[in-house]
Amino acid sequence: MLKLLSGVASYDAGSVQYRGQEVTAYDSIALRREVLLCGQTVYLFDGSIRDNFRKYYAYRDLPAPEDAVIRDILTLCVANFPLDAMCASMSGGERQRIYTAIYLSFMPRVLLLDEPTSALDAKTALAFFESITGFCRKKKITLIVVSHDKILTERFADAVIVLGSGRE
Amino acid sequence: MSDIIVLNIWQFSSVYLLLLVVLAVMKKCNVNQTKLFIVASVRMTAQLVLAGLILTYIFENPHPLFIIAYLMMMSGFAIYIVLSRNRKLNSRFKGVVAVSLGGTGLTIIIFLISIVVGVDFFNPQYTIPISGMIMGNAMTGVSLGLKTFTEKIQSQGDRIDSLIHLGVRPQKILTPFVNESLETALLPTINSMLGMGIISLPGMMTGQILSGTLPSTAILYQIAIIIAITTVTCLAVFCSLFFGCRTLFNERSQIVL
Repeated sequence: MLKLLSGVASYDAGSVQYRGQEVTAYDSIALRREVLLCGQTVYLFDGSIRDNFRKYYAYRDLPAPEDAVIRDILTLCVANFPLDAMCASMSGGERQRIYTAIYLSFMPRVLLLDEPTSALDAKTALAFFESITGFCRKKKITLIVVSHDKILTERFADAVIVLGSGRE
Repeated sequence: MSDIIVLNIWQFSSVYLLLLVVLAVMKKCNVNQTKLFIVASVRMTAQLVLAGLILTYIFENPHPLFIIAYLMMMSGFAIYIVLSRNRKLNSRFKGVVAVSLGGTGLTIIIFLISIVVGVDFFNPQYTIPISGMIMGNAMTGVSLGLKTFTEKIQSQGDRIDSLIHLGVRPQKILTPFVNESLETALLPTINSMLGMGIISLPGMMTGQILSGTLPSTAILYQIAIIIAITTVTCLAVFCSLFFGCRTLFNERSQIVL
């Protein structure tokens, strides 16, 4: 569903609209940059956290952010690690937060997060959502999150949509 | 220079004794490719004998149509062999590979024969052996380049997905894989250039010297052919992958492997 919304996948039937228009009416690349999907599968390049920011920004033809900006966004995602730390030696949860931080740093209009806390313990997941929802509200970034964690969704979501065989 | 010694059938047959040595070593080391080795040896012999007969006929009865037919057959086989080793490619990608391999191969052959050597393109003595070397090496290069490219695409799925989600244009995502595959395809040719003349005397030069050509002349031909081989490998792999990778995404910039 998130893929349909960000234009990464196409649909054969039905309608998916963004701001009153079919998503297919938008330029696909511009749409993806505005409605940014941070997928469940984490991919980080070999190298440090700073290297990863640089590489992702280079792919978007943007200058790499300053160290202070990277630190701020990492703090926001409860990922206070040194910028020189090598990503390959990090745990799944740490990598997931760095990955989310990179995507969030692009400041999209809508951020789609797919199970962003799947590799985090309950305490870190809570802190992560506390921080990220507050930031997105302040910056007017719409956050759409797919999650199986009922406690988190009830506590932080403005609206909950139960899909499939959900019993609510 | 003295004339070459023509091998009689008994002299020639004795070389097959060496195949028995290979078979014995394979058996001793439990190399499970005995059948393939025998089939390859028989096929090699049959194909070369057939080629020898056809070439003898063409050399005795030179005609532009024979040259064109030979070149088409050679290109067709080269394309078929490359594509049969990369069956998973989509049909548009296969088309790009066929055009790239055939187009770059024929362009370099025409340049080498007509401009560098400066003989009539339909002279079978030059066009047929040189075309064989050019197309054979282009085929190996493209095959290696495609294999590396498809392996990278398959192993780097998470990277491709992440970058697609991020709004990166597919061409930009795939370009590093094209570059790395081109490098892999070119390395064997470049490495062989490094050792040439010291570690080995290349096949064409050896053949020319054996048949009585002065080594100084043979060297010039060999240098020309090596440069042509490097160029055709580079161009054929580059065109196959650069244009071929565009078939891996649609107008919505979605990856369609």
